[in-house]
Amino acid sequence: MAANKKNRNVAIIGIGQTQYSSHREDVNQPEMINEAVKLALQDANLTKDDIDCFMHGNMELFEMVHQPDLWHVLGTGAYGCSEFRLTTGGTTGITLVCAADNLVASGMYDIVLAVGFEKLQEGHTTGGITNMADPLWGRMLQTGALTGTCAADVINEFGEDRARRAAMKHRIIMDQHASRNPNSHRSFGLEMDQLEDLMENSPRLVGDLRLIHMCSQSDGACALIFACEKKAKELSDKPVWIRDHVTTHREETLWMYPLDLSQKEEPTHRKAPRELFERNGIDKPVEYFDVFEMYDPSSWWGMDWIREFFLLEGDEHIRMVENEDIRIEGKMPICPSGGVVSANPIGATAMVRVAEAALQIRGDAGGHQVPGDVNHALASGFGGTLWTILVMLEKELDWE
Amino acid sequence: MAEYFGTTVEDIFRTQDSRFRPEGAEGVDVVVAYNISGAGGGRWKLTVKDGASKTEKLKDDDFGGFTAKMSADAETFVGVAVGQLDGAAMFTSGKLKGEGDMSVLMKLPMMFTKYMPPKKGITAADILATAVERFRPDMAGDLDITVGYKLSGEGGGEWTAVIKDGKCALEEGLRDGLTVTNIASASDYVDLMLGKLDPLVAIGAGRLQLKGDMETAQKLPKLFSKFIPPEASSGPELIVLKKTISVDMKYSTGRMMGKFLKGLKEKKILANKCPECGRRQVPPREICAACVCRAEEFVEVGPEGVITMIEYVYYASPDPLTGETRETPYGVAIILLDGCEGNETMWHLLKSDELDSFKRGDRIRPVWAEERTGNLFDIKYFEKVR
Repeated sequence: MAANKKNRNVAIIGIGQTQYSSHREDVNQPEMINEAVKLALQDANLTKDDIDCFMHGNMELFEMVHQPDLWHVLGTGAYGCSEFRLTTGGTTGITLVCAADNLVASGMYDIVLAVGFEKLQEGHTTGGITNMADPLWGRMLQTGALTGTCAADVINEFGEDRARRAAMKHRIIMDQHASRNPNSHRSFGLEMDQLEDLMENSPRLVGDLRLIHMCSQSDGACALIFACEKKAKELSDKPVWIRDHVTTHREETLWMYPLDLSQKEEPTHRKAPRELFERNGIDKPVEYFDVFEMYDPSSWWGMDWIREFFLLEGDEHIRMVENEDIRIEGKMPICPSGGVVSANPIGATAMVRVAEAALQIRGDAGGHQVPGDVNHALASGFGGTLWTILVMLEKELDWE
Repeated sequence: MAEYFGTTVEDIFRTQDSRFRPEGAEGVDVVVAYNISGAGGGRWKLTVKDGASKTEKLKDDDFGGFTAKMSADAETFVGVAVGQLDGAAMFTSGKLKGEGDMSVLMKLPMMFTKYMPPKKGITAADILATAVERFRPDMAGDLDITVGYKLSGEGGGEWTAVIKDGKCALEEGLRDGLTVTNIASASDYVDLMLGKLDPLVAIGAGRLQLKGDMETAQKLPKLFSKFIPPEASSGPELIVLKKTISVDMKYSTGRMMGKFLKGLKEKKILANKCPECGRRQVPPREICAACVCRAEEFVEVGPEGVITMIEYVYYASPDPLTGETRETPYGVAIILLDGCEGNETMWHLLKSDELDSFKRGDRIRPVWAEERTGNLFDIKYFEKVR
């Protein structure tokens, strides 16, 4: 797989996020987007006239507006300027990051502003996701993004009690992270002594996936500004460099269960890190990275994927959760923001992972800042039908 | 009575039947049990049937049968009912709990309009000031009466309603020779008019005295429509436009899926086979994703197979084909059909009335629809091979 063939380096020089919330009836879509755009421009100390190209992304099936970029042009600031619109489901936000990186690296534009948003309360989330499946087959059977297969896998491998405890522990840690992130949509104030009660009493959705495990439906927007190396060094004293990214998708694995890994089919959350780390010469990602902002659609996936994303084996990932290594102050902080289970404005969600990872590198994450130096950060995106995207961020331009 | 957010649990249940929306409960036949803990809590039972609702407070712990049950502490329950707490968040965090058919609980907001707490500080004078507009000439007929209100305590005063020739006028002070006189404290009168105090209880306890012509007194409640308190308002009205989009769609099936669906019409399940690796794909996909080559050869598989995974779905999601909420729980199975191996699985539904008896490894077979149209649901569902 071709990689590291960038024409020139690209950095993130502006970050803006709205408050994530269950309802924003006080603003319409362009107004909400504009909140994030303005914050990103302020953060980069730029005006909209400094932007060479805008990118816009959401999932149109949720709000049922099929050219939202036209309505939103006063919010994005794209009037009289180049603009692209992207929609790739749950990964939309991070696909915007990959595309903006490519646009700037190509030399086509020096400065690109990308904004991802969703107003999930304006539509029907599960209906929208279900209608994303192919209309000939999957649509009739799918239940939105809900599935218990991951829970079944983990239970099968590690036993009911250990698996359920670890998933709930992951959930409670995420809730406690969210309590330190003022932008977070949900923070219930969960404590570890509620673990057993939640394991038993949280309503079941599908199989062992319970309501408390699942991500929220949020309103909100996130904007990032990307610049070429020359401009980034001129304009920013804390540029965050995009080292590499990988995109994988394989829809058929959705209904393959249990997936026999000795066969040809490889899940995307396994293929993406394998390729990315191989081509970047990273043998032990768990040692290399200082923080990981993972797209965790549910605590089951959030816990289970630690193994694949860090190329771990056996129960290493479960032990990381059991030992609370994933806490902000832990050995391998995961989702200091509180993750997707705490805020999920879908078209923005995957971009928020990159935004939060970049804030960690800058040391600007405030109450949920990881202590010590953050030099290397990883962000992931996930979406239906089983897409995985990974983005690597660096503090210094010192890799080969 | 313990108040939360200025409202009691009683307030909500007492007004529940008056907030019923028959149009939101078409064909609904359910019993919902409410177990509200803490100060001001209790047990209530709601029965919705034949387009009517009945809410009753239970004296003992026995709910009897119910379709769904909701449990919460009084503060959470009131907070959600008055919109001060996010219901979804309370449900997720376990403060609001559901049992039984959860889809019923999700339909409740359709069946009842939201509880609106009355504006604070409503006075007897506020209520009497609306008497003229609430007067119902159709019920008064040719009545010629004077009704006095002698209300004591804070906010009290004396008023007379003069009803004559199908009209009502309100005067301050008490006329002589009143047909009926209402005597109460101003605060009890307000509670009576807001439905917080039961009139029979008030009369029995001597808190409401009626003097004069008792026959006329009994007619009084019918002469006026119910006092509806102005809603408590919090900030400016935010106008939200509501839309329902309903579009008939049709999708061409294409060469591979078309052949597969034609097979279903003929009660055959067809897979396509990769010429390079031999992998079978159900349903067929034009390209073998593993070898990235065209896979044109069709082979018949199944129709029996083995369950490799069951997804029990408890979440009442909408059926994207009809928009109707699906009945829960239902079972989606990942199935390895005979003639397939390894990861060559497919998915379909399990027979719902046997749901509890299925387990991984069970042999199952398709139940074919009588009329088959070339559709996934030409197989209604899979059932156990006995």
